[in-house]
Amino acid sequence: VQFSKKSARAHEVVVEDPARHSQQVGDERISKRIAENISIVSRSLSETIDGLAHLLPAQGPISIFIHHNTLHAFERRPFEEAVETAAVELDRQPFLPESRYRDKLASGRILAKDVQALVREQLGAAANAVIAGATSRIDLWCAVVLHGIPEAAGHELSWILDETPALARFRADLPAPARAALTPIGDVDDRAGEERRAVRRLWRACLDAVRRVGSHTGPSGRIDPVRHRDWLTATCGIDTDAWIHPPLIRFLAGYLDQGLARWPVPGTRLGIHGSFLEIYSGRLAAFCGDWARTLPRIVADDRATGRDAIGSVAHSLVELGVTDAEREDYLRGELLALRGWAGIVRQIEARPDRVPARDVVVTLRGYLGVRLLFERAALDHASREIGFAGPICDLREALRPQLPASPALTATERAWPLFHVAQLCGLDASAVEQWTDHDVASVEAELRSLDGLRRRRILHQAFERTVRHRFYDALIRHRARPVEATPAFQAVFCLDEREESFRRHLEEVDPSCETYSTAGFFNIAMYHQGVTDAHPRPLCPVAIRPDHFVAEIDTDGTVFARQSRRLHHAAGFLGYNVHVGSRLPLHGALLATFGWLSLVPLILRVVFPWVSSRLQRVRETTMAVPRTRLRLDRQDLAPPIGTHNGFTVDEMVAIVRRVLEDLGIRDRLSPLVLVVGHGSISLNNPHESAHDCGACGGGRGGPNARAFAQMANDSRVRGRLASEGLVIDARTWFVGAQRNTCNNDVTFFDEDVVPADHRSLLARAKTAIDVTRRREAHERCRRFDAVPRWYPPPATLAHVEARAFDLAQPRPEYGHATNAFCVVGRRARTRGLFLDRRAFLVSYDPTRDPDGTVLARMMAAVVPVVAGINLEYYFSYVDPVGYGCGTKLPHNVTSLLGVMDGSQSDLRTGLPWQMVEIHEPTRLAIVVEAPPDRVLHAVQTHAAIERLVRNRWMWLACLDPESDRLWELRATGFVPHAAEHALPTVAGDSSAWYEGKHGFIPPASIAGAAATT
Amino acid sequence: MTAPLAWLVLVGAASPAALLAILGAASLLGRPLPERWTSTLAATAMLVSCVMLSLALVGFGMSATGIRLLSYGAWSDSYAGGVTIEFLVDRFSLAFAALSAAILGVVAAFSNRYLHREPGYNRYFVLLAMFATGMLGIALAGNVEVLFVGWEMVGLSSALLVAFFHERPAPASNALRVLSVYRISDAAMLSAAVLLRHIAGTDSLALLFSGIRTLSTVGLTQTDATIIALLMIVAVAGKSALLPFSGWLPRAMEGPTPSSAVYYGSLSIHAGCFLLLRSGPLLEHSLAARAAAGGLGALTAIFAAATTRVQSDVKSSLAYAALTQVGLIIVEIAAGWYTVAFVHMAGHACFRLLQFLSAPNVLHDLHGIDTIGRRAAPSKTVFLIAVERGFLDSLLDRLFVTPFARMANALTALDRRLCGAVIPAATTVPVHEGADRDE
Repeated sequence: VQFSKKSARAHEVVVEDPARHSQQVGDERISKRIAENISIVSRSLSETIDGLAHLLPAQGPISIFIHHNTLHAFERRPFEEAVETAAVELDRQPFLPESRYRDKLASGRILAKDVQALVREQLGAAANAVIAGATSRIDLWCAVVLHGIPEAAGHELSWILDETPALARFRADLPAPARAALTPIGDVDDRAGEERRAVRRLWRACLDAVRRVGSHTGPSGRIDPVRHRDWLTATCGIDTDAWIHPPLIRFLAGYLDQGLARWPVPGTRLGIHGSFLEIYSGRLAAFCGDWARTLPRIVADDRATGRDAIGSVAHSLVELGVTDAEREDYLRGELLALRGWAGIVRQIEARPDRVPARDVVVTLRGYLGVRLLFERAALDHASREIGFAGPICDLREALRPQLPASPALTATERAWPLFHVAQLCGLDASAVEQWTDHDVASVEAELRSLDGLRRRRILHQAFERTVRHRFYDALIRHRARPVEATPAFQAVFCLDEREESFRRHLEEVDPSCETYSTAGFFNIAMYHQGVTDAHPRPLCPVAIRPDHFVAEIDTDGTVFARQSRRLHHAAGFLGYNVHVGSRLPLHGALLATFGWLSLVPLILRVVFPWVSSRLQRVRETTMAVPRTRLRLDRQDLAPPIGTHNGFTVDEMVAIVRRVLEDLGIRDRLSPLVLVVGHGSISLNNPHESAHDCGACGGGRGGPNARAFAQMANDSRVRGRLASEGLVIDARTWFVGAQRNTCNNDVTFFDEDVVPADHRSLLARAKTAIDVTRRREAHERCRRFDAVPRWYPPPATLAHVEARAFDLAQPRPEYGHATNAFCVVGRRARTRGLFLDRRAFLVSYDPTRDPDGTVLARMMAAVVPVVAGINLEYYFSYVDPVGYGCGTKLPHNVTSLLGVMDGSQSDLRTGLPWQMVEIHEPTRLAIVVEAPPDRVLHAVQTHAAIERLVRNRWMWLACLDPESDRLWELRATGFVPHAAEHALPTVAGDSSAWYEGKHGFIPPASIAGAAATT
Repeated sequence: MTAPLAWLVLVGAASPAALLAILGAASLLGRPLPERWTSTLAATAMLVSCVMLSLALVGFGMSATGIRLLSYGAWSDSYAGGVTIEFLVDRFSLAFAALSAAILGVVAAFSNRYLHREPGYNRYFVLLAMFATGMLGIALAGNVEVLFVGWEMVGLSSALLVAFFHERPAPASNALRVLSVYRISDAAMLSAAVLLRHIAGTDSLALLFSGIRTLSTVGLTQTDATIIALLMIVAVAGKSALLPFSGWLPRAMEGPTPSSAVYYGSLSIHAGCFLLLRSGPLLEHSLAARAAAGGLGALTAIFAAATTRVQSDVKSSLAYAALTQVGLIIVEIAAGWYTVAFVHMAGHACFRLLQFLSAPNVLHDLHGIDTIGRRAAPSKTVFLIAVERGFLDSLLDRLFVTPFARMANALTALDRRLCGAVIPAATTVPVHEGADRDE
């Protein structure tokens, strides 16, 4: 009772508010105006919104995690320009902090000669010009880039001057010639005092120099904010976003929810805006916060006039006083204020097939409509708080006089960089005292063009250059291994860089086997629904929207299988009931009474994860798994999603033919071919899917591998292929498998249909894979801090198995971290080359593709996937909080769509720090083993790839199939690359090279046990 | 028999305190211990604590019944009677203490791997040690002083862990909110303690916890009992997020997952319940207070049950689900079913901890389950109230925070006007150039 009285009183206050009357008059005027040109306005408004949507994070639902270029919207510009523009527009970091590059310089990850080469390249003819009569431009640039100038201003600077030895000693990191020039040879007894006097004199000389020249008047950089909120924050310290975001997030998360809450938002069919009007038009909505007094009136007005979402946005913009000219900027600001949520709205709008909830109508304009309604209510309140009586469309003008001006640089702040330049170039006080006005101006001009951003850019480029050239040189120097005439068995993997080590170890374990790799969806684009899945999910690269649906079906009719399935269902049902029931009062009380029982799983899983992973293994091996099959053949049944249920024989033939051609394996097939997809299974990891197969759109590639094997074994398919000239020997059998990259488990599919005469060969391959699992785990554990170095391979395998089962483990595996390279070519060129799990490997035989069609279609499938992975890691690493989603520790799964920090934040997109922490942010360097013109042609046939290459979002080089020559693509075309780094040759297996080493390891030729004897 | 029991309890309660002393001293000296040492120390301390308290529970449960007061000498004797370190042990307190130690041991093991390589690793463990010390203090406290110190340690570490990621604004402001509600609860508890001491002339909780008959002998009238009990209920409501303070609970989810789990899923949220459970005899003395507690618990349970149904993020959903049970536990205590309440509380603490710790696993858990066919909310109004969490935050803001802030601002303005003439306002330090200050 008290509640309703209160809200009634609040309402009365609103009615008496004089501002409301003027607004009512305004409303009528405005609605008339809108009615006149509503169609034109809304059409162009929709276009504006659609255009701006590209700036939003393009991450879909987190359980289908697809790696993509975080700055996809900027791909039309050259990389450096794009990251720097985005840094300003999106308020993010373009490169690492300068200090990080300096650490890399110190540790040798960046070579000084690469920095010098780059500076020379960028300065061109102007490199040798003399600056301030004392030093050449290139020397000045190199000194400043290599040593840096500490940024300091205001109180920080005066603290540095007062409290640190900055004015007592020269910089500790001076290059030797500069130190020699600066340090006076005088009284040996008082060297410190001598140095202090020299430094002070230099500092005073710099101060005098800038005072002489007078203040520098640069272009005033002040840009007025656009959003009312930014004006209010800048002038009065009021942040309206902090008021409206919590309820907005609550409502939106509820609306988009895919099944976490028990009660869905009422009126989902009406769209975001429509549903919002239904719920928030009541008087109670005024209690959303102190600021929400006018919210019910604003919402009710929209509802009464029957505005749709776009009409509401248009109306709100007029109310807010946003002119047509600034509309785009304004809406950009609004969208970016909660970019994660806006982004997921956009993603669901564009691809509703990727979420299970089908009855929601999700549009970006609906979200914007709701957002602006909240915003208007908050601005009404903010106006009242600061005593502004007019309509909110005039608020910004009223605040203009209070906008603070940016202060001009003081003499100290200007002298500070000069002081450092003088030290770095070895100029003492007497030289600086001689400087003319022109000299000072020219040094200041150099420093303006060599600001912190530019220094970071050059250092970053040098970093990439160092890393990249080491990789090129390894490929040039590595001697190609002869091809095995009759391999015992072959294994086809995904091109994923995590398979690089697995393949290398497999070849070391069983030298008579041959490995291949291709995009891990094996050219089968499908929606797949496993027997235990609730919903089908797409398994193919994100660019493809599959037409085909494939279900996994039970074929096992035995009583035992039926029972075990029933048990499985019962367990799932029980789990779900605990999940739901624990939230209900009485069920929860009942569960809680027996709650102390949960101490057992708690202690087992948290304190002894290794034991629980063993128990799981025992359960898996003792309980018979019901036999299933993929239903691949075309069915008459309508599919739940997609257009076809299953594939026709013709489609299967095309799929098998293309993969065999891509691999260059068609006439070399051995009796047993393993087709190995991959996925990753871990607990307590919302980003689990980000570790899955990128080529399967963040799904597990096992079903694709299984489907491919089933197709290639199909006698109808083989018959048709033979008639087309591609003969698969009757002795050849394909077996599908899936590798779990987290715990290194390899699961084989449909083993029961393997012909009897292949069983022994399969057993041999499985034994080899078993050893490989251990060795690969051993190599991988090198990067985990928590693993003692002395662990033997079996212990490391147990360790990675426990990691996958550990509730407390935020790093079940490191995923794609450290990826940097890609080789498209024959395995012979990389077999035995240690690439430290950093290279995507794609099998391609240049000798069988004279016209380049295979290369072109392969690049089209592969490049977007690998570039997406590489660039996502780049951005999540250089700005872990902005582009990445920060640390995992406070993450909170929301709406089953993504994670928030804590209870109410923006939806956090990108990768968590725990996934990327060991990464090196470099653009991908792709080397294609093919003649330059063929590579160029392959690139140019695909506009998106051409754009990525032209704008240097990745580096492209080609390796001559017949020789050791390598060309890198530059602005002027392919330029020959001269090798400079040596490639060590290591006897023994991979462990001989990596064992005992920390951090990154340069490439090496692994000679192998056989070669050493 | 007393001596071994006293030793067991002392070692049990002191080992987390020793952990706090070691980790805290190392941090204060600017030399935080390496991760491996910290985790080993934490595990050892919690294991020792858990074993000792379990032994005490087994030994005490077998040998005797009733309440026993263990005194460990004076803390301070600055006034007559002094402040003594006293533990009050009975089955409830020992069981709760042993359970707390076990849970904290599991959480320490969890956190060690979860926070591996995190910059705040050391700070986190210092706070966890403080929490463990405080929690055992609450469980075992024999007098108001020990209880209050424990209560404060829990509150302070809780707020600091909410603000664990203090580089972002949201955790810091939410932590402030949590802390301010805790202060209300602390003030209520302190008032109750002072009142009790004033009336009954003692600060021993033995009196409070021992039964009606003893209470009557010291001259506690029914009115006194009601007032003290109501103050206790306010203290409990703040700590256990009962109405109308429930708004801080979802805000407290800003810290790392294990801290949210152990505080708001498991131990801290039940600290209030435990206190109320122990003051049962006091409640029995006053029907009004009993009714108030029961009503508050029931209302909280209903409110939280509705609210948890609309939460679309897993941690808030679990927080309100936990609150539902806390409400029910309060009802059980008000009804006088102490053993039921205790079993409910202990079970719930374990069960909810597991759920909270595996909260990030929800996508994995629900993978094979179709969650789309759901029930509809009873009405749009109920939905709005639930999704806005009962408007509790804005209600508290309107009724208390805003008027209070206004008053403070007015006082500041008055202060400035009155004293401005006498004391000059602080000026900003001028920026000066290093060269001006010569050798």
